[in-house]
Order: sequence, then structure tokens, then C-alpha cells
Amino acid sequence: MTEIGTELAPIIREITQIQIAAYACAAGDFNPIHLDEEFAKTTQFGGTIAHGMMIAGLVSELIATSHKRTWPESGKLKLRFKAPVRPGDIVTAHAKVKQIRGTELTYSVGVRNHKDEDVIIGDATVAVVVE
Amino acid sequence: MPLDYVNLSIGDVVSCREFVLDLDTVSEYVAAVGDRSNVFEPESVSPMVPPMAIGALSLRGVLDDLGIPSGTLHAGQEMEFLDSVLVGETLKCRATIAQNSVRRGVRLVGVKMDVVRGARTIVMSAKSMIMVPA
Repeated sequence: MTEIGTELAPIIREITQIQIAAYACAAGDFNPIHLDEEFAKTTQFGGTIAHGMMIAGLVSELIATSHKRTWPESGKLKLRFKAPVRPGDIVTAHAKVKQIRGTELTYSVGVRNHKDEDVIIGDATVAVVVE
Repeated sequence: MPLDYVNLSIGDVVSCREFVLDLDTVSEYVAAVGDRSNVFEPESVSPMVPPMAIGALSLRGVLDDLGIPSGTLHAGQEMEFLDSVLVGETLKCRATIAQNSVRRGVRLVGVKMDVVRGARTIVMSAKSMIMVPA
């Protein structure tokens, strides 16, 4: 029985520059802020950062792991990118039920870095299959 | 040629592209993000595409057409998944401007994307907020 406050098992990953480069190729996003250390040093971040959509993928993976097919068929995601994720950061994607309305569950979701800073915050809503 | 962001108005179509989510493309995406949710099962007869892959791979064409300048940042993302997509399907992504404003020297551009299968079945709707150096 799912109740308000129920938490999903978090996903914890270390983000590497190799993974960022692989994501750039897969997603076709070659913005130098993700790939070119010399360029990225001249920005407010002082070095390369991961693609927001790559980190957001952890949230989607977390919900999909629990809700299987209902996530790609009925999921809604609303995210704000609050802070950059750098190579070497260890990030944790988390989700906690905040609302149950009819057959829909809404999770408070997010991703934190190893300094316990929020890098992504938001909500995810998914239909619940009643068996 | 990069778009002139100053002159973009709400409702302007900035991209309209058809793309195929073939097995290699989806596998490359799943390997890059390390997705272990098992939504994507490459050995199955009709593997399902992870929903974020639809978003990321739709955005790929939009980014190309927007010609975003170096240093552009992704500020927010909304997505609504309306139907599952199987590997091998051909989809079309239409992107329009939903917001274009300047605040404290930064241009905030909202891009709405509708990803459709066939003539009119929307499989994903999304809105990306990007910050472009003004």
C-alpha cells in the first residue's frame, strides 16, 4: 500500500567525464560547456558540467524502475536544474510520494550531489495500475 | 545558420523534424546514461524506448535547428509521456517558441515540443527552458 511519504529506493551514481562525452554523442549535444575543459574554465562553473538531461534521466529511471510500463504511458515530469553536476560528483536521485489523487501518484523528486546540495528538484506524476 | 533569438516570437516554429529511434541509437543512449530500469529490453521482440530517450533524442534536432551559442544552459524541463514508443518507430518533433524574455542580462527561451507518431498521435509533449547569453 502506497502512502504519502513513501520513498523509492534511491539511485546513486558517480558522474564521469567519459560518461558526459558518451552522452554528448548519444544525444548530439556538443555544447563545449560539457566537453571542452579550457572553454568551461572561462565560464561561471570553472570546468565542465554534465548535461541536465543526462542527470534528469536518473529521475526517470527511478520512477520507471517502480512503475514499469505506466511511466512511459502516463508519466509527467517537471524539473528545475538548480546547480551543475561536475565530473567526479556522486549524485543521488530520490523520490517521495507527496500526493495521491484518484489513480495518480505525485512524487517529490530530485537529485542531490555528494555535498547534499540539490542539483535538480521537481515533481513526477504517474498513474497507478489497480490490479 | 543560428537563429536570431531577439526576433523570436511566441508561436514561431523553430524546428520540425522526422527521426527514427532505431536500435543502435537507443542502445547508445541507454549505455551513455547507464539506465538499469529495464524499460528497454533489447532482446525482446519489440523493445520499448525509455521515455527520457524520446525527450533527449527529440531535443537533438531542435538544438541543431536553434544553433544555440556556446555557454547556453538548460534551466528547466517539463515532459508528459502519453504513449509508449517502440524501437524502430518514426516520430516527428515540432518545436515552437513558448517564451522569450530577458532578465538580468540573460535571455530565457522556452521551447515547446510535440512529438507525434503518424498524423496526429502525440506520444510526448515537453517544454525546455534554456538560458542563452544575451
